[in-house]
Amino acid sequence: MALFAVLQTTFLLALLPLRTYQSEVLSEPLPLTPESLNVSINSTKQCLHLQWTVHNPDYHQEFKMVFQIQISRFKASNVIWLENYSTTVKRNQVLHWSWESELPLECAIHFVRMRTMVDDARIPAPRLWSNWSSWEKADAQNSLGDHPLYVFPKDKLVEEGSNVTVCYISRNHQDNISCYLEDVLIYGRQLDQNVWAFEFKNVSFIRKTGTNFYCKGQGDPEGVVLLVSKVLEEPKNFSCETQDLKTLTCTWDPGNDTGLIQLPSYTLFESFSGKKTLCKHRNRCDWQVTQDSQEMYNFTLVAENYFRKRSVSILFNLIHGVHPMAPYSLFPKSVSATNATVTWKVYSIGSSSALLCQLQLLGEGKVIQQHNISVRVNGEYLLSELKPDTEYMARVRCAYADHFWKWSELISQNFTTAEAAPSEAPDVWRDVTFVSGHPTVTLFWKPLSKVHANGKILFYNVVVENLDEPSSLKVLSVPAPANSTKVTLNQSSYQICVTAHNSVGPSPASTVAISGHPGNENVEEGRMNGTEDGFPMSWKPQSRNATGYVVEWCDSPQHLPCVLRWKNLGPTNTDTVISSGAFRPGVRYNFRIYEISTKRMAHLLEKKAGYLKELAPSYNPKVNMSNLTSHSFTLSWKDYPTESQTGFIQGYYVYLKSKTGEKCHRGFEKTFLTDNSVCCKYTIDNPDQKTFVVKDLQPESAYEFLVTPYTSAGEGPLDDFRKVTTPDEYSHILIHIILPMVFFVFVIMIICYLKSQWLKDKCYPDIPDPYKSSVLSLIKFKENPHITIMNVNDCVPDAIEVVNKPEGSKMQFVGTRKSPTETKGTKPAYLDLLPTEKNYSGPGPCICFENFTYNQAASDLGYCGHFPVTPQAPHCQLGPLTSPENLLKTLEQSYMNSLGEIPAGEANLNYVSQLASPMSGDRESPPTNPPEPALCSEYKMQMAIPLGLASPARSENSSLSSTALLDPREHCH
Amino acid sequence: MQDPSTLLDPYIRLQGLHSPVLQEHCRERPGDFPSEDALWRLSRQDFLQTLNTTLGLILRMLSALQQDLPEAAHQQAEMNVRGFGNNIHCMAQLLRGSSDPKAAEPTQPGPGPTPLPPTPPSSTFQRKLRNCGFLRGYHRFMRTAGQVLRGWGERQGRSRRHSPCRALKRGARRTRPFPEIRRLAPRGQPPR
Repeated sequence: MALFAVLQTTFLLALLPLRTYQSEVLSEPLPLTPESLNVSINSTKQCLHLQWTVHNPDYHQEFKMVFQIQISRFKASNVIWLENYSTTVKRNQVLHWSWESELPLECAIHFVRMRTMVDDARIPAPRLWSNWSSWEKADAQNSLGDHPLYVFPKDKLVEEGSNVTVCYISRNHQDNISCYLEDVLIYGRQLDQNVWAFEFKNVSFIRKTGTNFYCKGQGDPEGVVLLVSKVLEEPKNFSCETQDLKTLTCTWDPGNDTGLIQLPSYTLFESFSGKKTLCKHRNRCDWQVTQDSQEMYNFTLVAENYFRKRSVSILFNLIHGVHPMAPYSLFPKSVSATNATVTWKVYSIGSSSALLCQLQLLGEGKVIQQHNISVRVNGEYLLSELKPDTEYMARVRCAYADHFWKWSELISQNFTTAEAAPSEAPDVWRDVTFVSGHPTVTLFWKPLSKVHANGKILFYNVVVENLDEPSSLKVLSVPAPANSTKVTLNQSSYQICVTAHNSVGPSPASTVAISGHPGNENVEEGRMNGTEDGFPMSWKPQSRNATGYVVEWCDSPQHLPCVLRWKNLGPTNTDTVISSGAFRPGVRYNFRIYEISTKRMAHLLEKKAGYLKELAPSYNPKVNMSNLTSHSFTLSWKDYPTESQTGFIQGYYVYLKSKTGEKCHRGFEKTFLTDNSVCCKYTIDNPDQKTFVVKDLQPESAYEFLVTPYTSAGEGPLDDFRKVTTPDEYSHILIHIILPMVFFVFVIMIICYLKSQWLKDKCYPDIPDPYKSSVLSLIKFKENPHITIMNVNDCVPDAIEVVNKPEGSKMQFVGTRKSPTETKGTKPAYLDLLPTEKNYSGPGPCICFENFTYNQAASDLGYCGHFPVTPQAPHCQLGPLTSPENLLKTLEQSYMNSLGEIPAGEANLNYVSQLASPMSGDRESPPTNPPEPALCSEYKMQMAIPLGLASPARSENSSLSSTALLDPREHCH
Repeated sequence: MQDPSTLLDPYIRLQGLHSPVLQEHCRERPGDFPSEDALWRLSRQDFLQTLNTTLGLILRMLSALQQDLPEAAHQQAEMNVRGFGNNIHCMAQLLRGSSDPKAAEPTQPGPGPTPLPPTPPSSTFQRKLRNCGFLRGYHRFMRTAGQVLRGWGERQGRSRRHSPCRALKRGARRTRPFPEIRRLAPRGQPPR
């Protein structure tokens, strides 16, 4: 055989050059030239499928050959692909080769040819290519109709991230084709006269229904849908298990959906048995366990879609993968206050296998008991040490006892234990107030905790026992959930017991003792500071026999009524920290610490006040300003309570701002406010001082002031400055003078008004009515026929008194008190018209009209006296005359008759003008021709004097007024 | 059912056909549904018959479009069509049992070709456009059917003698298979 092989090889080697030579020279096809080349088109996969044979009748053995394949597009000369395909060729074997085009095959004609070469080591070189086969044409456009526009590829399925080429064929060259990818106009590359291509790289998933690409010319749009699939993921967490050793269930996480309507397929393959099954679900597959006791399984899960195939394998031991089904029928039974029995059932596995079940008891969501029980069919367990009236949850799960792998699902059941009597006395405290000497006790108690209540508390019993009268018992029943009651007692000592009752029975009693008299409340209050944890406080015990201490306080002291809180402490405690969620910063809390005696009597030990955190005052006191002078004023804020502030008031700041920017006064310090304004600040470090005098101010200056308290946390708001302006320095003096003067004048005016009648009487009394004069009555009484009233008309003036008035001189009232110098310039001159006194020697009757109001002093001095008057004649006749005219008329009309009775010879009348009546000055400077003393009648002008003129005339003006009234022409008719 | 937002709009959104170019070509094709003129020309009996037939076609199309429509919209549309078809069927039965002369009027020129399910196009893209046009036609047809039924009610007001409503009432009094029939389409209640 070896010899034969050598000979054969030698023959071949000798033959091949010969064949080559023949092909080159004779152009004869070599026997190894591919024959029957057939090209088919798979449009869906865009593949050209080649099929050919190599017919060589000379050789019967296999040869390794190389096929060089050329692919051209549109025309044969446009080679776009060249590939060598090597394979082993048998005689007359039909060979296949495929080529996938990136361009849809419908858009271009393809040409294919090939040549071969023996590539077998048994055949020595040189190795020569055969001749090319003839071009085979692949034309998919033949199947197209006469539609003017075609777009390819139809319904292309592509994977996300891949590249895809879309093309269109337009039969109408004149048509203007626009193409869109999802509404976006895109431009392609022209491949041929009527073929355009569009390359999309790294395509992404848009929607399950595909990405639309369409082109539009004159007619309807033509398009394709690119079905983009997300990349198929490898299944994760692939595992298998069995619940009953009969059926295996394998599960996995398929990962993200590929996003296509066509779902990937999942196949489960078991290598030991060689079986496989197509899974109905994308994440789970069932496998029937065979009866041949196969224990080991080698599973391979294959996920496959159009583009990819993913697989994952596990080696599985059936016994090690038992996951029992959840137990069922879990029930509690025989539930008492502290015990309960629970029962449940399980699904059996196999014929003799047992399950390990775990029973858990949960209270308030936490596992408080856990027990493992081996169960075949029915499970039962007694749970003990339970709490009364408590809800529990019992839950059970089971696992395969032979080989634990995984617990089953849990089942659970709730149950509640029965009630029991409360186990602890309620925490009781009291608030004692004395009304009319009788104590009124308000008892408070805290609800029992659930642990101690052992059931629903229905009511509280309050037993009040008078210790002074042991037989006196008073029982109150207070229904729950009340937590207080009020008891009015007398001045005896009492012991009060409080018990809580539920449906089973009462709790132990809580006892407090009340004294009938108020205790010592005069305990000085101390201060303390709160911390984040609360109020730490300590106290000094007073008695060694104290049974405990109680600290009480109000949670919200700013709100009434007080929500009383207390804390019980043991006898060994002398300090504690009081904490409460109700404590707030800036609130003053008052604590009272009581010592509890052996008789359960509470004695006040200490009082403490403090803030959890002090805050700056939230508002300023209302300040009153007083005593404003040009140099000072006083501030006071007496009604500002310090106890209700947001911190311990340590003092006050008095801010003073001066607009003149003067320096700060003594005691003040310069400071800057938040608005960068300069201000003077005075610190009052005594919180009880609530007045302040601001001194050393400038008169007529504007100031602003503010009083704000401060605590350890800061001062109050600096936003309410008040303004004040100091007055002028002398204004107060003026006020001190002017005001009293005005007052004095006012008083004088009032007095004058009230005494006007008196003044009138004193200053200008009424002119007496001559008709009513007493002279008349006297005349009548004497019946002296010689005495009568002078008729003025009958008077014959015997002399004219000429008054020489120098220019500027003024008339003077007759009888007014004038200084001699004033009257010097008015010396009247008298002209005798009748024989006068010089010639008249005998006495005669003389009537003198005297007005005492006019000149009382003169009258008193007897101005008329120098005229001799008969003793019978009245000294003066008085009568009212309101004016000279009236006077004359009255004299004419009223006394005519009377006068007529007087004989003219007997009545020697000397009429003298009133303007020339003798005055005081006249006495010192008698006229040139002074009348002789004789019986004469002297008339003095009677007039009313205005009130203002009643006082002695001091000025020339007064004289002028009088002059206007006393025109001499009016008096002489 | 006349409202495109119940079926057509969800379809357009789901298929990505919202571009103006595609909207322009989302048109009802002639022959998918009877035209308005054709419906008006029909006798009442024929109208109801045509309506019933078309509703059957719509149901088949809806079934084919199940994967291409939002599930909620598809279910709602299917229920509406079924309910409306039931009403039409009952009306047709009542009309047939009545002596309304209009009901027996000879059928005028028919509504055109009997609606047939549209032939599935070759490509998915064309199928999308085709379905879009079909759904648009569906809404148009339902609107037209409503107008025709309302026209019945108006004619009834003008001529009570020839009122199909009275005929329906007579039929209802005789048979009354469903008491609610009087509240249905004879009054011209358009399909919604």
